[in-house]
Amino acid sequence: MVLETEPVPFSDFFAASLPYWLQGMAVLALICLAVGFLRLAVRYGPSRAFWRLAESGVGYVTDLLRMSPRRVLALARLTVQESLRRKVMVGFGLFLLILMFALWFLDAESPDPAPLYTSFVMNCTSRLVRVMALLLSVFSIPGDIKSRIIFTIVTKPVRASELVAGRMLGFVGIGTLMLVLMGGISYLFVIRSLDHTHEFEPDATSLAAESAGLGSKVIGTTSLARNHRHHVVLGVDGVLATDVSQGHWHPVTVEEHNGHKRYVVGPPQGQFHARVPLYGKLRFKDRYGGDAKRGTNVGNEWTYRSHVEGGTLAAAIWHFDGLRREAFPQGLPMDMTIRVFRTEKGDIERGILGSFVLRNPQTGLTTQPQDFVAKEYVTDRHLIPNRLLDSTGKSIELFGDLITDGQLEVQLQCLQRGQFFGMAQPDVYLLEHDGSVGLNFVKGYVSIWLQMVLITALGVMWSTFLNGPVAMLATGASLVAGFFHHFFESIATGKTPGGATFESLVRMVQHKNTVIKLEPGWGTSIVNLLDGGVRHLMKLITQMVPDMRALGDIDYVVAGFNVPDGQLLVQAVTVAAYVLPIFLLGYLFFRLREVAQ
Amino acid sequence: MTSNMAAAEPSLRPDAAAGQPVVETRNLTKIYRDFWGRQKVRALKALDLKVNRGEIFGLLGPNGSGKTTTIKLLLGLLFPTDGEAFVLGRKASDVGKNERIGYLPEETYLYRFLNAEETLDFYGRLFDMPAKLRRQRAAELIELVGLGWAKRRQLKEYSKGMTRRIGVAQALINDPELVVLDEPTTGLDPQGCRDMKDLIQNLRAAGKTIIMCSHLLPDVQDVCDRIAILHQGELKELGRVDSLLKVHNVTEIRATGLSEAAQAELRTVIARLGGEVKSIGHPTTTLEDLFLKIVRESEQRPGRRASADS
Repeated sequence: MVLETEPVPFSDFFAASLPYWLQGMAVLALICLAVGFLRLAVRYGPSRAFWRLAESGVGYVTDLLRMSPRRVLALARLTVQESLRRKVMVGFGLFLLILMFALWFLDAESPDPAPLYTSFVMNCTSRLVRVMALLLSVFSIPGDIKSRIIFTIVTKPVRASELVAGRMLGFVGIGTLMLVLMGGISYLFVIRSLDHTHEFEPDATSLAAESAGLGSKVIGTTSLARNHRHHVVLGVDGVLATDVSQGHWHPVTVEEHNGHKRYVVGPPQGQFHARVPLYGKLRFKDRYGGDAKRGTNVGNEWTYRSHVEGGTLAAAIWHFDGLRREAFPQGLPMDMTIRVFRTEKGDIERGILGSFVLRNPQTGLTTQPQDFVAKEYVTDRHLIPNRLLDSTGKSIELFGDLITDGQLEVQLQCLQRGQFFGMAQPDVYLLEHDGSVGLNFVKGYVSIWLQMVLITALGVMWSTFLNGPVAMLATGASLVAGFFHHFFESIATGKTPGGATFESLVRMVQHKNTVIKLEPGWGTSIVNLLDGGVRHLMKLITQMVPDMRALGDIDYVVAGFNVPDGQLLVQAVTVAAYVLPIFLLGYLFFRLREVAQ
Repeated sequence: MTSNMAAAEPSLRPDAAAGQPVVETRNLTKIYRDFWGRQKVRALKALDLKVNRGEIFGLLGPNGSGKTTTIKLLLGLLFPTDGEAFVLGRKASDVGKNERIGYLPEETYLYRFLNAEETLDFYGRLFDMPAKLRRQRAAELIELVGLGWAKRRQLKEYSKGMTRRIGVAQALINDPELVVLDEPTTGLDPQGCRDMKDLIQNLRAAGKTIIMCSHLLPDVQDVCDRIAILHQGELKELGRVDSLLKVHNVTEIRATGLSEAAQAELRTVIARLGGEVKSIGHPTTTLEDLFLKIVRESEQRPGRRASADS
């Protein structure tokens, strides 16, 4: 799997984000106070406005502190009942309908169907739940106000904070119920759809070879099932198993009945993974072999990755720590996803040649270089065996000689002059072990749940002062800004060529591409001035709107990687950090609203 | 609606503190504005009003006179542009006052997907009532409004009258001290109207204060102790119903045992002829006549003519 951003440890995230969040909350509070003061000052004059504001502030805080859990739960319960009786389960029915016909469209001959099926169900669930959360959350409060049912609610001792919290909680409850149902059915769908077995009957020659004990060899081919066959291999240790096809293999056992051997092909193995990668720290050497913080920058689009130049001493070095023999009994499985930047096209079908060596950072002991061919967007897997040859050709032990105190360095170079390898820290990792697939599936759904919580909170907040359709548009716009956060950010910071709104408009009218500079003059000055304003606004939006893509972990589950617990914690804390001010804003808007007007 | 209200209300209290103001407004003003802050309607103009504990107070006025605005301001559904409103000793904007208030809106605005029991249970939860008390109150009130036979049916299947009854039940779920009824007899059949009026009288007998507004003047005349008549946002008349309906410039003599000739001699002759005067006083008009007269006069001579001390 290719990570475009590095996972941040929770402690680093928390230490960096907390002051920023507190600052944001303080700014929000100051804005609210300033707006409130101005509003009151216009009506009562500055002196009375101050005391009225202070009185209101105390009232608001008291309101929040006196929230009754029973009332919040009553409103949440009502919300669930309302949603259920308004046929929210139709959404669930739609999901079942999609699953019923999904097998018609999912590629049965896919070389690795497990990620395809997992991706389908998770993306389907995610989209449906998002739409459902949006539609449910934005119409309830405006609906109550329009139908005036709100009159019988707010004339009871219900605080605005309780009403907003109750609605949010209720929609989260119904969304959770839907997600649990969809998640359970999705899991069963994927497992049951991909479950299969084959028939196997070896031919006579193969049987003879087997009995002759000639070692590891193919003794036959299984029957066709789910559009594929397997070769059955007799291992050197005498164990029968199939080879890997469509991303899985089967164990084969032999049952003897009345002196007759029957070969039984077991269920598929290795279809699903929750790999736990062990990341190292990346540093670089420049073309002369000197230490460097980063590699070569080959252009804007590659800033996340640094590059090493081919045919020079430039190298990327990963330092791994905490390697234990018990964790890697079969050797070190290492995945490398190396980007290629070509300065000459050459044969585009052929990869670029590179090599890596392993080095003990304490003793300096180095292995012989191992060559590999890097292709764009392809992950190479290498198994570093327990016995290797050092640079002098002497046999050494992986653990003991090469790895001492759990440390190892992997030094990677590009061998072709004029070409570059691009890499970031997460592009090379060691596979520590496989986590629980079921738990990983749940983690993926928890990330969908977090997105759903955020959408619900946004929807309820907008609906406290806008009518249903407008609240839906506002929530939709917030989500667009959230899902295209990076794009917004790149326009706001001027990283995207072609300017912001007004410059783009001029370019479209004048048929100019994004790299040609606009001719200097008063027109361009005005355009730049206007774009400056737009950029400020966009910068403000990017600072306020959550990065929705950063909350999704579906890619991890689909690619068979364990969702790091720390990452899930970061996402949960991020959502909580957004939900709290969103709730407070919703409360404020609703409290200031005259529901009977 | 059954008429055994007092029997079905175990927690009703006797009229303990009659005469104390339960609602007080001072210079209460409401101006509706458009999006740009420009004045659209001056719905209520400097209303000064007091409603005493234990009385039935009627708010009257033609459409657009400001009576519903007054009720909404008292309940905190609207914010005053100027002036203040106090309910049960608290500001109208204080949510805490709602603990002791019951409100029946003009139309019964309830969740139509709930049944009667669920509706009362929901509103009971909003009063933070424990489950046992909620169940007990819901059962009592369903019995009181005579909906025991339909308590499991969703409100969307209810007739208008039935919905009105369950609306009354939700207004009483918290055994309120102050009951605000907006057009309480709307949608009820004659028997339902009679029951509603009995219920209002029983609530008063149990020491509760009732504020009601209604277009049905005979209903108001039947049950209210005091009334306020609003027109174009101004208070036009305020006082006791019996006093307001008295026609002061007309004397009425009711006598028996007089001959035809003696009747012609009227008051001066009655005593001399030895007839018995049964009553001498002022006849009363109907509330409808009074109401129409005030509205007519108000249109001819705009301006305030009543005060809170009436």
